[in-house]
Amino acid sequence: MGKCSSGSAAGERPERHDGYAPLREYAAIGDGRTVALVARDGAVDWLPVPDLDSPTVFTAVLDSHHGGSCTVRPTVPWAVARRYLPGTNVLETTFTTALGTVRVTDAMTVPDTRLTPMRELQRRVDGLSGSVPIRWSVTPRFGYGSGPTHIRTRAGAPVASCGADAVAVCTWQAGRPQCTESAISGHFETRPGSRALIALSFAHQEPLILPSCVECDARLVHTCTVWRRWLGERSCGGPWQQAVERSALALKLLDFAPSGTIAAAATSSLPEQIGGIRNWDYRYSWIRDSAFTLDAFLRLGCAREAHAYFWWLMHATQLTHPRLRVLYRLDGGARAIERTLPLQGYQGSAPPRIGNAASDQLQLDTYGELLQTAWLYAQAVGRLDADVARRVAEMADLVCRLWREPDAGIWEVRSRPLHFTQSKMMCWVALDRATRMADLRLIPARHADRWRRERQAIRHFIETRCFSDRKRSYTRTADSEEVDASLLLGLLYGYAHPGQPRLRGTVEAIRRELAFGPFVHRYSDADGLPGSEGAFLACSFWLAEALADCGRVMEAADLMDQLITQANDVGLYSEEIDPADGTFLGNLPQALSHLALISAACALTERDQR
Amino acid sequence: MSVTAALAGGFLGTLVLTTMLRAAGELRLTRIDLPFLLGSAFTVNRTRAKALGYLLHFTIGLLFALGYYALFLALGHSSWWLGALFGLAHGVFAGTVLVNILLPLVHPRMGTSLTSAPDVALLEPPGFLMLNYGLATPIVTLVAHLAYGVIVGAFISLSA
Repeated sequence: MGKCSSGSAAGERPERHDGYAPLREYAAIGDGRTVALVARDGAVDWLPVPDLDSPTVFTAVLDSHHGGSCTVRPTVPWAVARRYLPGTNVLETTFTTALGTVRVTDAMTVPDTRLTPMRELQRRVDGLSGSVPIRWSVTPRFGYGSGPTHIRTRAGAPVASCGADAVAVCTWQAGRPQCTESAISGHFETRPGSRALIALSFAHQEPLILPSCVECDARLVHTCTVWRRWLGERSCGGPWQQAVERSALALKLLDFAPSGTIAAAATSSLPEQIGGIRNWDYRYSWIRDSAFTLDAFLRLGCAREAHAYFWWLMHATQLTHPRLRVLYRLDGGARAIERTLPLQGYQGSAPPRIGNAASDQLQLDTYGELLQTAWLYAQAVGRLDADVARRVAEMADLVCRLWREPDAGIWEVRSRPLHFTQSKMMCWVALDRATRMADLRLIPARHADRWRRERQAIRHFIETRCFSDRKRSYTRTADSEEVDASLLLGLLYGYAHPGQPRLRGTVEAIRRELAFGPFVHRYSDADGLPGSEGAFLACSFWLAEALADCGRVMEAADLMDQLITQANDVGLYSEEIDPADGTFLGNLPQALSHLALISAACALTERDQR
Repeated sequence: MSVTAALAGGFLGTLVLTTMLRAAGELRLTRIDLPFLLGSAFTVNRTRAKALGYLLHFTIGLLFALGYYALFLALGHSSWWLGALFGLAHGVFAGTVLVNILLPLVHPRMGTSLTSAPDVALLEPPGFLMLNYGLATPIVTLVAHLAYGVIVGAFISLSA
């Protein structure tokens, strides 16, 4: 038990369809501010600059013809194997050809003590054996491919610029760069022991910094050291340690260092159905993920990240207090206006979007998430600041007024609002945590009696209107017969004791109706959008944790083992997966998938140790 | 005309000029960042470079205002429109000689047309009229220096 794919054996040359690599073939590299996606064939197909939620300079994953990318690969047929350098988010891709073997090391470097480019992508090519012809190409397309790109040479380095953005392509032993109107490219041959470097130095609203080769080498070493040191300070034990460590590193990639929040994913508009319209921008921070995020940080021993995240939450939600938005920008802003991009979309999955209209929805579950997060934080720290405590209490008051309203639910359906059971359960959780904090004098207790009364009223509503006797399960919405995987969160957040028959029946109903092998779909009925979607990976991990909570530890461990093998070759998960063929769907790497993995693995490990 | 008025005008003018350049960056018109250019001549720490750069930039702004004051004294006349003319000349000088030729001579980390792939980190050279920092840069810097000149000229003429 507990095997995790930390790399891949040499495999066949990956095939692209109409220029698109399978989503499963993407690895992510980042520097705590932005994230690039690197395909198995050596193409960087996604990179927003300067920040994770900025417009992209490489967007080929959303438009293989006009999106722009940065490629480094042999010009002869190859087989490829990849891994992350142990303990880091630095990617190592090994191309094996009939002529020899080369290794490409990719990193978004982190600043060191030198004058560092605003953002830097390093691609180092080491000759391991034989003589391999390599061709590289940089095709920048600023502003999601819409900006006019001007390519000139400055101080010996080709520079592509557009408005306030620019990228310099600094190369050493990588052949003479050739500039055209739209691309900078070159070719060279490796020898055993040869080393070439292609460093992309990005600038935004400032002059470019053109680094030296020596500095680039030192910065790559520094970057590896920083990642290893960070992971070395984490506490990730247990049978799934490797998977938890990789998930921790993936989370750290999504941890936006300038503000301390976590992005839901590194990408926008990767489809939930190939060719469909379910293409959303996930480069925002969802309140929905907050409790899992804080819990994961605390479990992994990331005290600094936990503090930073909680204070970001308090800063962001202050703008709309006491009401909560579904999601906030990484800088804490509340506006996320949705618009479509004039791009083809991944394999024709149109329209690709930026912004997210879900930000304006009413989602009652967010209040439960936030109060659970405050509860976890208060337990860890021992207190809440007076201002925070007052605001938490005011949110509980708001829940008392709001919980009877229909909402869009945790899955942000775009159909008419309904009385989602999970939303009501999370309202119960919100008031339960508020009363607990009031009892411990962590927050003002003036309205605690009202919170208790309303908490009881919510339970009465759920037990009388949100339970199907026929299915012996809680239902997706009031007075319906459908089930919903999000009901597992009711169990995980302690709405009722795991031994309670209604909860056990719900777990069974979810397995019966929504599970396909190890995969769990979110729900089965309509959601106001055409098309379908894959199984939701986080739900599968929630099911594993729920089974463990219900005392079925062996089943839970078996499910975990199956799910761990579903990661891609470098241990990453997307949002969804096609149960039929394992195709990754949705944005990636997906924070909630990795958070659910960490939560389930830690819960099972703790249970094992007891 | 008074030195105090020149210094006050220089301070306000630099404030407006800096704000306009910063706003142009935010509007994605240019990558010009004069404080960063100045500060990175003394330190590689980005934060310190910007802080030091702003201090230097304001100091230089005050010195230029004193230069305007000397010119007004020599001409025996001061006005906002004469200040505007000085500002225009100042802007052209900054874009062609000051930042493009003189600054690279003294800036240890700025590239010139003769450097390539050096052993020390280099700042991208500004180029003629600072066009390397974006096609709108000459317009933005000229307008900002024009505003500076108008403010300094107005302050000095009002004190006369």
